[in-house]
Amino acid sequence: MTDPSEALASANAAADRLVRAKRLNACITPPRELRKSLVAQAQAAHPSGVLYGMPVAVKDVICTLEFTTTCSSKILEGYHSPYEATAVAKLKAAGALIAGKTNCDEFAMGSSTEHSAHGRTLHPFDKTRVPGGSSGGSAALVAVGAVPAALGSETGGSVRQPASLCGVVGIKPTYGRVSRSGLVAFGSSLDQIGVLGRSVHDAARVLAVISGRDARDSTCEDRDPLRLPNVPESLQGFVIGIPKEYFPPDLDPAVRRACDRAIRLLKELGAAVREVSLPHTPYAVPTYYIVAPAEASSNLARYDGARYGPRFNGAADVRALYRSTRGEGFGAEVRRRILLGTYVLSAGYYDAYYRKAQQMRALIAQDFRNAFDRGVDLLFTPTTPTAAFKAGERLGDPVAMYLSDIFTVTANLAGLPAISIPIGRIKGLPIGGQFIGQAFLEDEMLEAAYALERVVPATEEA
Amino acid sequence: MSVTHDDVLKIARLAELDVGEEALPLLAEQMSRILDYVRQINSVPASEALRPFVPGPDAAHFRPDDVKPWPLAFGPEKLAPAFKDGFFLVPKLGAFEVPEA
Repeated sequence: MTDPSEALASANAAADRLVRAKRLNACITPPRELRKSLVAQAQAAHPSGVLYGMPVAVKDVICTLEFTTTCSSKILEGYHSPYEATAVAKLKAAGALIAGKTNCDEFAMGSSTEHSAHGRTLHPFDKTRVPGGSSGGSAALVAVGAVPAALGSETGGSVRQPASLCGVVGIKPTYGRVSRSGLVAFGSSLDQIGVLGRSVHDAARVLAVISGRDARDSTCEDRDPLRLPNVPESLQGFVIGIPKEYFPPDLDPAVRRACDRAIRLLKELGAAVREVSLPHTPYAVPTYYIVAPAEASSNLARYDGARYGPRFNGAADVRALYRSTRGEGFGAEVRRRILLGTYVLSAGYYDAYYRKAQQMRALIAQDFRNAFDRGVDLLFTPTTPTAAFKAGERLGDPVAMYLSDIFTVTANLAGLPAISIPIGRIKGLPIGGQFIGQAFLEDEMLEAAYALERVVPATEEA
Repeated sequence: MSVTHDDVLKIARLAELDVGEEALPLLAEQMSRILDYVRQINSVPASEALRPFVPGPDAAHFRPDDVKPWPLAFGPEKLAPAFKDGFFLVPKLGAFEVPEA
C-alpha cells in the first residue's frame, strides 16, 4: 500500500471493524476518539513505510501519545503518558496506524483478562470463556479480524497463552530484542513486548519493525532489527527437540493429539525430531511466582498518589495518602502479588524464597543451554495445557490460574524467543503449539513456524 | 496456614497498602496456598556457586554523561494529582512509624 487514499480507507475500515468487535470488550478506546485518531494518523503517515496503512492495536500497558495508558487499572484512570514507547514510535515511523488500546489484566498480571478495571474481555468464539491473558484484548481483536496484528507484552506467557486460546499467532522475542522503553514495568528481568498476528508473516513483519537497538533501554541489545527469513520449502537440516516434561501423563489427551499431529508434520517436512529433557521444568511456575511478584512489588512502588493518576480519600498525611491510594487503586490480583513480592523479599524470607528462586532460574536456563548444546535447533511443545476455560472458573484459585502458564514461563525465565501458532481445535476451541528458539535466533524459529503453519490443519479437531 | 492475619498486616504496612479487616481471611488463605506451592523449589539442591542468570546484554552499555531533557509531550503538571511551582504537592509528612523490632 502506497496510496494515501488506501491508507485512509484502511483507517476507516479498521474503525468500523473495531466498532463491530465492541461486544468483546477487547478495545478500551472510545469508538469516536479511535476513528478520529486513525484518520489523523492515516493522513500523517509516510507512504514509504513498510507497514504503511496497517492498523495495529496496542496493549494498554504500552505508552502511546494518542490514547490513555491505564494498564487496565483504577490507579491510572485517565492517565496520558507524556511520551510513547519506542516500539510504538517505530510502528508509526513505518507507517502503521495505532488502532486503539486493548484490554488486559491489570498491570499485565493475569492469565484470563478478567482482572481488569474495564471489565473482562470475552473469548472471540465463546462468550462464556476467557480469551487468556494478560494480552487477551489484543488476541481477541486479531482473532475476529478487527486488526491484522496487535502489540502485547510478555512476562510469563501473556502473548503466547492468549494467542493459543484465541487461535492466532503470538511471538515473544528474545529478552533484549525489543526495547522496553515505554512498556510499563511489571517484572523488569522478564518483560518483553511481543506481537500477535493473524499469521506468522503478519506477526513477524511487525516484530521486525519494532526490534533493534534503543539508547533509551540499557537492557536492549545493540543489534540491527530482525531480518525476516524466507518461507522454507522444507525443514531439512532442522533438529527439533521434544522436551518430555511438557508432555506429562495427565496432559489433556486432545492437546497431546494436536501436538502429535504437528510433530508428524514436522517430520514430513524433513525435520529430525528427538526427545530431550529439561529436568527443572516442574519448578518453573513456582520460580516465576517468586521472581515476578518480587520485581512487581518494587516496580509498582511508584504508584502512590503523589505523581500519577488519581488520589483516593482525603488522607491526613503522606503515608496515609500512599496507603489509601494504593489500597483502593489496585485490584485484588495486583494487591495479592505486591504482598507476595514484599513477603519473599522481606528479612527472614529472602534466602528461602527469592535467593532460591534465582538459583532455580539459573538451572532452568542451563537446561535450555544443555539441550541446544547437544545439537537441537528448536524445541516444540504445547503452548497451553488446555483450551480456553470458563470465565470465573479459576478466579478463586490463584494457583490453578498460575498453572495456565506452565508451558510458557520457562522461555521468559531463560530470556529465550518463542512463538505460538494454532495447531488444531478441541470441541471447536483453538489450541496452540509452541516453538522455543535459541537467543537471538528468531529467524530459525520463524522458518519452522512458517513451514508448520502452511501444512497444519489449524481449524480441524485434534 | 503458613501466613497469619498479622503477617498480612505487617507485609501490607511494608508495601504501603491499605488492607481492610474483611479482606484478611481470604488474603491469608490465598497467600498461604501460593507460598506452600512455591516452596517446592526448596526440594532441589542448588549449588551456591551457581552463577545467577541475568538476561540481556553481558555488560551495561553507558550513554555519554550528558544531562539532556527527556523529550516529553507535556510536563508533570499535567500528570500529577497536585503540582505547584515545580513541586509535587502531598499532605503533611506526619509522624513516621518507628520500625518494629
